[in-house]
Amino acid sequence: MASLVRRFTALVFGAMMTASFAYAEDVSPTITVGTQEVGLTAGYMLSHRLTYLHKTQQHGPALMPSWMITLTDPVGDGWYRGQVSLGAEMVYLEFREPLLTHGIGFTPRIKYTFVALGRLRPYAEFTGGPFWTDLGGRVREQANEFNFILSGGVGVSWFITPQAAINVGYRFHHISNAGTAFPNLGLNASLPFAGFSFFF
Amino acid sequence: MTMSMFRWSVLSLAGFVLCSITGCTRWIDVKPADTAPKEATTHSLPNDERVPFVTNSFHLSRNGSSQYPSADLERRILSSLQETSLFSTLTPLGEKSDSLGDKHVSARITVEETIEPHSWLSAFKGFVIGGSMFLLSPFIDLEYGYAATVALELERWDGHVTRYEGRSSGTVYYKLFGATPVMIDELKGHVTEACLTDLTQQLVRDTNLYMASSAPLLDTGIRTVTVKAKRPAIAHSTRALVPVTTP
Repeated sequence: MASLVRRFTALVFGAMMTASFAYAEDVSPTITVGTQEVGLTAGYMLSHRLTYLHKTQQHGPALMPSWMITLTDPVGDGWYRGQVSLGAEMVYLEFREPLLTHGIGFTPRIKYTFVALGRLRPYAEFTGGPFWTDLGGRVREQANEFNFILSGGVGVSWFITPQAAINVGYRFHHISNAGTAFPNLGLNASLPFAGFSFFF
Repeated sequence: MTMSMFRWSVLSLAGFVLCSITGCTRWIDVKPADTAPKEATTHSLPNDERVPFVTNSFHLSRNGSSQYPSADLERRILSSLQETSLFSTLTPLGEKSDSLGDKHVSARITVEETIEPHSWLSAFKGFVIGGSMFLLSPFIDLEYGYAATVALELERWDGHVTRYEGRSSGTVYYKLFGATPVMIDELKGHVTEACLTDLTQQLVRDTNLYMASSAPLLDTGIRTVTVKAKRPAIAHSTRALVPVTTP
């Protein structure tokens, strides 16, 4: 996994360096209805124990390939002018603590991208969907392996070309089983991330 | 047991394939410019009766705000006019032709586009589709509307002005997985084509207006002197007397 993260980081920085020199001029992306986006995001999960009952300090790397499609032309006027996109994301988490375990999920993803700043595009996103992890049942917070993962966060995309962007941001993750088994305290974590997207 | 599993597998596979196919569909609905049937009009025009066509101005507005018109759009309009064979040559905006002669037709082209992207509705439908884990995507249509009016104001060499207007509108309906930026271009292409067809049909009906022998050439020297001698208010009223036809 560490090797994967190293390769991913090298790929991101490599793309940044080459593309920045190739497109020194201002690049303003033209994203219209139907524009698709594929991306790869990686980050590191850091646990939050929100109550005294939470004991597990889960942490580890996360990898999230995603696909999205732009649903709207820019709406609104002023600073909040933006576009809505909808897509899906696979989320893979490797829990290094308290046990080396894994989790994988599939989540629809909805994103609002602010377009007023040209090539710098902040966004807010929300994802939620089923999530399976073998950490469930081995920690006191979660009873079973089948869970749901919800996340909300903010980020910013920097377009290095009209078709490619580098993304950085922050997400808050919540994993629980929606009351299908008990205990169901939930596992919460922060996830700072970085990645890149291609638009076509 | 095995038979039942096989049956469910086949049904599931068929359902998945059906949803995949219907979830990727899109279609364009272009409304005709006029519901009245149009008869095909043809005129034969001798070569020596054809006069040059010169573009004097070209304006484009989108949802009421002025835009910089593209050379492609102008070329497309001129190309449609060229197909009518009404004019000997067509000169785009800004280009000068030495062989215009005394008789030529000056044109003012105006294109008004109206885009109705149904953004909030699309965002809401997207939220519903995402919430259903994309299961509803084959059943929910998204839409994008576009309307255009192409107006052509032609001024004959003797000052006779006629205005022609072609209108059309259309909507592209698409499923989430059938969305692509190309569909917007396709919609605009179809609507523009419908507008231009309507416009050229009107123009062909007035073929006689643009024959070289249809009107005598004004004495341009006298006309110049008259303009300089008259006050602007009088010049304006003279122009208002020029017959204008709106189809």
